[in-house]
Amino acid sequence: MMFLSKLRYLLASRCSRGEFDEEVENHIAMLAGRFTAQGMTPEEALRAARRQFGNRTSLSETRAEMQSFVWLETLWQDLRYGARLLRRNLGFAAVAVLTLALGIGANTAIFSVVNAAILRPLPYPDPGRLAILWGNVKRENVERRGTTYPDFQDWRDQSRRFEGMAAFDDHSFVLTGVDNPEALGGEYVSASYFSLLGIHPQLGRTFNREEDRVPQRDAVALLSDRLWKRRFGGDPAILGRTIQLDGRAYNVVGIAPAGFQGVGHSAEIWAPYTMSGSAEELGSRRIVGLRVLARLRPGVSFAQAQAEMNGIAKRLEQAYPRDNQARGVEVASLTQETTGNVRTPLLVLLAAVGFVLLIAVTNVANLLLARAETRQHEVAMRAALGASRGRIIRQLLVESAILVTLGCLAGVALAHYGQRALMAASPLEFPNFVHPTIDASVALFTLAISCAVAVALGLAPATQVSTAGVAARSGIGSRNSRFRDALAIAELSISLLLLIGAGLMIRSIVHLSAIDPGYDPAHLVILRAGLPQAKISAPGDILRGISALPSVESVSLGSDAPFTGEFAIYYTAEGQPPMTAQTMPRAYLHRVSPDFFRTLRTPFLYGRPFSVNEIHDGANVAIVTENLVRRFWPGENPIGKTIKLGRADVANPWLTIVGVVGEMKYRGLPENPTADPDLFLVFNERSSSFTVLVRTSTDAASMLPAIRAAVRQTEPSTLIFNADALENFIAQELAGSRIAAWMMSIFAGIALFLTSIGIYGVISYGVSRRTREIGLRVALGSGRAGVLRLVVGRGMALVIAGLVLGTAAALVLTRVLASMVHVSATDPLTFAGASAVLALVALIACLLPAVRASRIDPAIALREQ
Amino acid sequence: MSKEAKTEILQGTLDLMVLQTLDALGPLHGYGIARRIEQVSESVLQLNEGTVYTALLRLQQQGAIRSEWGESENKRRARFYSITTRGKKQLAREAEDWRKIAGVIGRLLRLADQKAVQ
Repeated sequence: MMFLSKLRYLLASRCSRGEFDEEVENHIAMLAGRFTAQGMTPEEALRAARRQFGNRTSLSETRAEMQSFVWLETLWQDLRYGARLLRRNLGFAAVAVLTLALGIGANTAIFSVVNAAILRPLPYPDPGRLAILWGNVKRENVERRGTTYPDFQDWRDQSRRFEGMAAFDDHSFVLTGVDNPEALGGEYVSASYFSLLGIHPQLGRTFNREEDRVPQRDAVALLSDRLWKRRFGGDPAILGRTIQLDGRAYNVVGIAPAGFQGVGHSAEIWAPYTMSGSAEELGSRRIVGLRVLARLRPGVSFAQAQAEMNGIAKRLEQAYPRDNQARGVEVASLTQETTGNVRTPLLVLLAAVGFVLLIAVTNVANLLLARAETRQHEVAMRAALGASRGRIIRQLLVESAILVTLGCLAGVALAHYGQRALMAASPLEFPNFVHPTIDASVALFTLAISCAVAVALGLAPATQVSTAGVAARSGIGSRNSRFRDALAIAELSISLLLLIGAGLMIRSIVHLSAIDPGYDPAHLVILRAGLPQAKISAPGDILRGISALPSVESVSLGSDAPFTGEFAIYYTAEGQPPMTAQTMPRAYLHRVSPDFFRTLRTPFLYGRPFSVNEIHDGANVAIVTENLVRRFWPGENPIGKTIKLGRADVANPWLTIVGVVGEMKYRGLPENPTADPDLFLVFNERSSSFTVLVRTSTDAASMLPAIRAAVRQTEPSTLIFNADALENFIAQELAGSRIAAWMMSIFAGIALFLTSIGIYGVISYGVSRRTREIGLRVALGSGRAGVLRLVVGRGMALVIAGLVLGTAAALVLTRVLASMVHVSATDPLTFAGASAVLALVALIACLLPAVRASRIDPAIALREQ
Repeated sequence: MSKEAKTEILQGTLDLMVLQTLDALGPLHGYGIARRIEQVSESVLQLNEGTVYTALLRLQQQGAIRSEWGESENKRRARFYSITTRGKKQLAREAEDWRKIAGVIGRLLRLADQKAVQ
């Protein structure tokens, strides 16, 4: 309001300084003329007129103040004054700016990732209505298993609360008939998949309804923009051409828009879902695995959709009791599915980094308070010279604003580079549309926290100024130091919180690394390979080719390797009682060669490995893990017992158990996804897709080139999909925990460092304030040890208060970590360890000023003042 | 604190006087306003005439008066101030406030006088 009227006034009656002077001159002249008429001499009259007019300078100033934006000028003055002061205290300014830059930068970086991964909506139209439908199985726990194609068709046809549904499943397509054959991440999808997502091809078309028919006659494929540019040079003539996928000719019908890589974010190619299996397989209610993408009708809630699907699942269970017993549907939002796994870690990191900022601000506030103390004279003098309280507070605010602005700029630069490093180093898998940038919302966030920081920093010393005017020195001092004590305690408790968080995560990783997976992952190479149909008898030759390499101890073949085999199957044990869908025995099936357990160094509890003369389909022998025999034959010798694949009424041959090994963490770390046992059958050495396990006597990764070369030499048509040391695969499994722990430790380290500086500041400030008193104590016979005790005791009182508060906060707050750590969130060892570390660091921070205090010369101390 | 408050009242009073003068006499220049106040106050009020200009600036900024250049009695260029509609409203409001305060002060002083008599 004031501002507007000032502006209007300025525009409406813009009168120059000269005109105003003229007006005043006229006035004085007229007044003088009147006095002359009353009989004064012209000189006397002019003097009297001037006297009666009063202070012209003050009038000009008032006018200037009204006309110009004088606050801008005083702001400029304040800015220059502040900058000058900070330049003079370069050390202080640098420490403060760096501390703030660290706090603001870290917050900006983490927030930009949070913003990109969680806050921005998925890049599809109306993404809130997109859902993933999982087929669930109620076993010991409810397990997500995907569903069958007939179930999907029933869901789609019977539901009313969805606009549409599309089946989809991941598939690795092998591209051949080109110079460098390779395996491509892809998806089998129903025709409606693209329209549900609102994806329109940049060239050609997506799939049509005809291509959803079973059996599928025409093999068609859609390429991702990336694959199209990478493998086909972005040539539009690719449309209508055929490419070889999995040994079959596919007609390319379209190119997906740039950036789209399926809901799984890694697909480069799509084929109709009906290409995924034979008509018989697609008609079975037993082969579960596909997921369903669906779009809710407008206005339908997820709860309503879930209720409808529960009804459909119930009907299907009644109609197909044999196959659909205990099967349900889970309606999950696509957003949750896409970003749910990074949500908690990111929010925890954001909270942690927020705490770091709090500590940083506290520290800088402490520094400012200390400076305010030393500036009491200056402030008092300015007040005495007529500076209003508002003006002094404004000056202090401007100073802190300068610090924060510099800190903010440095912080944003830090964040800009930091977030790149963060994304590059992060093994957390982000969806491919996540590109953290400093966009408007990040800028707003940074601005908001910076303003909050500036106000907090400015107000801290300003509260002290309020009383400084009264200049009751001792009074201010004690109030000031109480305030600083409180800040130090806050810092200590927040630090403890972060230390405990980091400690829990580190303990969790130590715990994870100490897990015995049931095999020895060191010096193992895993290689996944594919062969053309004509060469499916080559695996044995490849095994022998690798065996001949130096530094290779043993080689084994298999259908899968650790963390790649997830094929679950029902089985039947001899003499088992009747089962329900919940209790029906299920195992994960792997086919392996005789040297498999020797290569993995998995010891046998009973029996023996397969023998070379059992490498054929009629061998009918099996090796199982401990859980299987413990369930059916506890306490008995399991060797010679029999099991068969499939349910009790399926006419499969009985297999004799020849060996039993301990449970292996073969399907996941730190724990297999389900407690089902693993079942190993003989690998018959005839397969177009298999895994090679190589135990080396030297560093596994360094053997990779030699192993690749040996494979190519033995069978040049072999396609090597991926090959790496098993330890690297394990590292990837644990990468999420590792990066979170790593970052948490960095934050806790920063917090610890800042806090130790804060404690040091508070204690040495206390010592400097009490120099006289300490001198007096020494003069009165208190020994050096007594002084040490005094100072350290004061520091430790703060530490104890901080530890108590921090522990209480941690007991509440670490609960949110429970899903991220594999140890108890209230692990006493971690709490004790973190407290000890903090207490130790704080003790060292106290000792430095304490030792200085103990060296105070009473004579000098008492003479001061 | 108390000093500031006193200044405030004085300033307000001067504004009121200027507005009333312009309302009663029509457009006037600063000198004319000063003469009129001097005349009405019968030299009871010691006026620094410069403060009239402070009041004029302030009132102009509030939009209570406007100004234009004209010619003074001695054939010199002078700025003539006149009251605006907004200024008239302000004058009415402030005059009413002033009367109320004056009434209260008057009653208070009368009470004090009676007490002194007892």
